[in-house]
Amino acid sequence: MKTLVNWFRRGTEFVAAMMMAAMFLTFILQIGIRYSAKLEWLGKTFPFLEPSQYGWTLEFCLALWVWIVFWGAAFVVRERDHVTFDIIYGHVSPKTRRWFAIIGGTAVCAGLLWSVEPTLSKFYILRLKKTATLSHLLGDWVRMRDIYSVYMLFLLVVAARYGWRAISAFRHGADIDQPGHDGAAQQ
Amino acid sequence: MTLEFAACLLTLFFLAGIGLPVAYSILIAAFVYLGVNGQGVGIAGKVLMDGLYQSFILLAVPLFIVAANIMNAGTISERLLQFCVAAVGRFRGGLGHVNIVASLIFSGMSGSAVADAAGIGKIIIGMMTKSGHYTRGYAAAITAASATIGPIIPPSIPMVLYALVSNTSIGFLFLGGIIPGLFMGAVLMVMNTVISTRRNFAVEEPVPLRDLPRHTANAFPALLMPAILLYGIYGGVTTPTEAAAVAAAYALLLAGLFYRALSFRALYGILVESARSSAAVGLVIGGALILNYVVASENIPNIVAQSLVGLDVSPLTFLIGVNVLFLLLGCVLDATTIILVIIPLFLPTCRELGIDLVHFGVVAVVNCMIGLITPPYGILLFVINAVTQIPLREIIGEIWAFLGVLILALACLILFPGIVLWLPRVFGYPG
Repeated sequence: MKTLVNWFRRGTEFVAAMMMAAMFLTFILQIGIRYSAKLEWLGKTFPFLEPSQYGWTLEFCLALWVWIVFWGAAFVVRERDHVTFDIIYGHVSPKTRRWFAIIGGTAVCAGLLWSVEPTLSKFYILRLKKTATLSHLLGDWVRMRDIYSVYMLFLLVVAARYGWRAISAFRHGADIDQPGHDGAAQQ
Repeated sequence: MTLEFAACLLTLFFLAGIGLPVAYSILIAAFVYLGVNGQGVGIAGKVLMDGLYQSFILLAVPLFIVAANIMNAGTISERLLQFCVAAVGRFRGGLGHVNIVASLIFSGMSGSAVADAAGIGKIIIGMMTKSGHYTRGYAAAITAASATIGPIIPPSIPMVLYALVSNTSIGFLFLGGIIPGLFMGAVLMVMNTVISTRRNFAVEEPVPLRDLPRHTANAFPALLMPAILLYGIYGGVTTPTEAAAVAAAYALLLAGLFYRALSFRALYGILVESARSSAAVGLVIGGALILNYVVASENIPNIVAQSLVGLDVSPLTFLIGVNVLFLLLGCVLDATTIILVIIPLFLPTCRELGIDLVHFGVVAVVNCMIGLITPPYGILLFVINAVTQIPLREIIGEIWAFLGVLILALACLILFPGIVLWLPRVFGYPG
């Protein structure tokens, strides 16, 4: 079980890293193409360098950015990486902290699950909306709903994570009180 | 205040107060708001996704994070430090000056104060404590104080965020930060000299002047980075966002090919870490976008503007009042949260009172960066504490003098807008 979790974590980290690399390279490509566009013969000799074929770079980066944020928040960001106001959390007794973790975990889990159905129906119309430029790159099937789908994934995974956090706090106490935690809240 | 907005705020403060991540607290609070007033919870996701998907300028954030991580991993920071030691290490309080000058140079390459403190700051704290002339607390405090300059001199992630909420030109904001950043460096160096003389810190063995050219040559490619970035942006070669990609590419080139200090494995680690930080920051940005939607549908910024204009406050009184408020909030809140959530409340008032938004932005960002070192909640103090294990008590004990001069510098920026606006005006800013 533990190795499975480890492999899963590594896999999702790999995806995030590759999206990051792709975004970086796309940007470089975009700058490169802008300057190679000035050399008209280049596009003529090598048709794949024709600048008009690279209209998608900007939107592709935006799509990657959205995916990095929500894929990352779902799988890669650890509890201690979050921007958190933990002055109170760090200073109360372990018993109170445990209740904080239970209440907080339940609130996020319930809140996100509550929004799943309304969000889905809000996104439903986007199944018709084409992206501005990404059809060139990804093919004609791609719609805005596909790009936004990562948000649904995010809602479900984070709800599950926080639900689990509440259960684990209920059984073993808040996570910063558990042994082996390298805690951001130790200050 | 409407019932649904009260419920929203109550949820937000309660959830953030019990230690939930700020982003999730905002998200749930927005759900509560939308649920109670009947608009439907689904709007939150739509607003959030549209906001993130349409803000091209935000793409600079992950790229600057990548660039800073590469520079810290690839010995670029070390080379810069050797150069600074050779250049300013010979004066009293030498390593303190080295610390500040290194931060100034590094700030022209990275856009994040935390990257500055965790990377170059960690190395120099080691050097200062090893020399035996400085206490641990002093080394950590001066590092924290000088790291605040990082996002003032361009490039700058907080200024990108401010540009997003205020619709001001990112190019002029960057230009506006250059002189204030140098000014902050200068006041810190004066304070370092005063303290070093008073406590009689020993002078370090100076690096022979004949070695200076060698150290300069060694660091030269890295020293070129700020120039390349500024030329790229103001020469019209790249947009400020693309400049972030150029910075990352140049850092990669230097660390990987030129200095040969970066393996594929290390690069992979950098990508994972960068994705992690980008996701955490992006989530807060997304949360702020929804909260701003809520605040805007409650018409709060205009109500604030009307009541302040109705009170007949002068622009200066307003600026001072708002800055005191930001400083107080900076003691307990994160800079990203203040810039994205609190500042938009006051932007309409600025417009009504005729305060220049570039001036206001630079002042606000400087203010928020000072907030990074104000106890009890100062991210830079925590970061340094985490990477060096120097107790927070010792760091905080030494931070006050530096905090004092930085606030003095902030006051100068408020009173004399020319310090901020001179350079943008030279480059054609109409304000």
